[in-house]
Amino acid sequence: MTSNNPAVFLLMVNGQIEAADFPEYDDLYSPASLNSQITSKGRGSQSLVWNFPLDITFKSTRPQIVVSVYGPDTFGNDVARGYGAIHIPFTPGKHTKPIPMFVPESTSRLQTFTSWLMGRRPEFTDPKVVAQGEGRDVTRVRSQGFVTLQFNIVTKDMKKLGYETTSEHSAATGLTRTSQKL
Amino acid sequence: MAELHIIGQIIGATGFPQNSLFCKWGVHTGGAWRLLSGLKEGQTQVDMPQTGDMAYWSHPIDLHYTTKGLQGWPKLHLQVWHQDSFGRCQLYGYGYIHIPSSPGQHRLQCVTWRPLGSWQDQLAEMFVGGGPQLRSPDLIYSGADRYRLHTVGMGTVELELCVILRHFDRYGVES
Repeated sequence: MTSNNPAVFLLMVNGQIEAADFPEYDDLYSPASLNSQITSKGRGSQSLVWNFPLDITFKSTRPQIVVSVYGPDTFGNDVARGYGAIHIPFTPGKHTKPIPMFVPESTSRLQTFTSWLMGRRPEFTDPKVVAQGEGRDVTRVRSQGFVTLQFNIVTKDMKKLGYETTSEHSAATGLTRTSQKL
Repeated sequence: MAELHIIGQIIGATGFPQNSLFCKWGVHTGGAWRLLSGLKEGQTQVDMPQTGDMAYWSHPIDLHYTTKGLQGWPKLHLQVWHQDSFGRCQLYGYGYIHIPSSPGQHRLQCVTWRPLGSWQDQLAEMFVGGGPQLRSPDLIYSGADRYRLHTVGMGTVELELCVILRHFDRYGVES
C-alpha cells in the first residue's frame, strides 16, 4: 500500500520556436538556451521560419527561456540582433507567445560608428542577464523585432501540492479539507 | 499559511509622447503578508524602439508571498520615466494596479497619469523639460486625499502576470 505524497511537481514543455519577425534584417540564426541547461542551434532561412523544437521537463522551478538571435551585418560579421526572455507558463494547455527582442545600445555616437565599422557591436557577456531583474537599470537597449514561441504545457502533481493555477473549481480529491476562518 | 506566487513580466509601454522610456516599479502589501523570495521593487532598462511605438522591457517579476490574512492584497505601482539623448530623466507617469486575485495567466493594462503644474510650470516645461513630481510615491497607491492634485492622463503599461495560489482553499477562501 503506497501513500502518494509528492514532494515535487513536474512541468513538461513541448513546443517550438516558430518564427521571427525582424522588419529590417533578412538572415538570422539563434542559439536558444534555457536557464537550467541545454543549448542548441538552428539555422534560419530567408523567410525567417525556424520550427525549432523544444522538449523538456522541469522539476519544481520557475523556468524561463532565453532566446538570442544573431545575424550577419554589411561586412559579414556575426552581430547580435536581439535578446529576449519569457517565463514558461504554468497553466496547462497551448500558449503562443511573441517575445520582443532587443539589443544593447552603445553609449555614444562615436562608439556606434566605430562598432559599425569594426563589426563588434555591444553584446551581453552572459545572455542570462536578460532573464534576471537586477542589474538592468543602467542598460540602454533598442527593441527591434519579435520571436514567436509556441508551448504546450502539462503539469503533474501541482494540485496535490496545493497549487492552484487556474480558476476553475476542481473536483474534490480523496483528501479531507479543514476549513478555518482566516 | 497560504502562499501566493506572482510570476510574469512588465512587457512594455505605449501611448507616451516619446519613446525612450524606463520604468521603476514596486509591489506594496499589507501587514499580514511576508515576502519569501524575489525582488519587490526594481527598475527596468531604457528601451528605444527601432520600429513602432511601443517600448519593450520584458522585465521579469518573480515573487513568492506568504500571508495570514486577505487584507492588503499586493498592489503593483509604477513610475514611467523618459530618458533623452543627453541622459536627463523626466517623469512621464505614475500608475498602479492590483495583482489579480484569481489564479491563472492575466494580461493587464495599467493606465498612467502625470501631475500638471500651473501654466507657468507648463510653459517652462515646454522649453527646458522637467515637470512636477509627487513628493512621496505613496500617493500612487493609497486612497488618500487627492483633492488638490491636477493631473493629465498619459500612456499605458502592459504586463503579463501568472498568479498561483497555494493552500487558500484550506482556509475556505474561494477564488
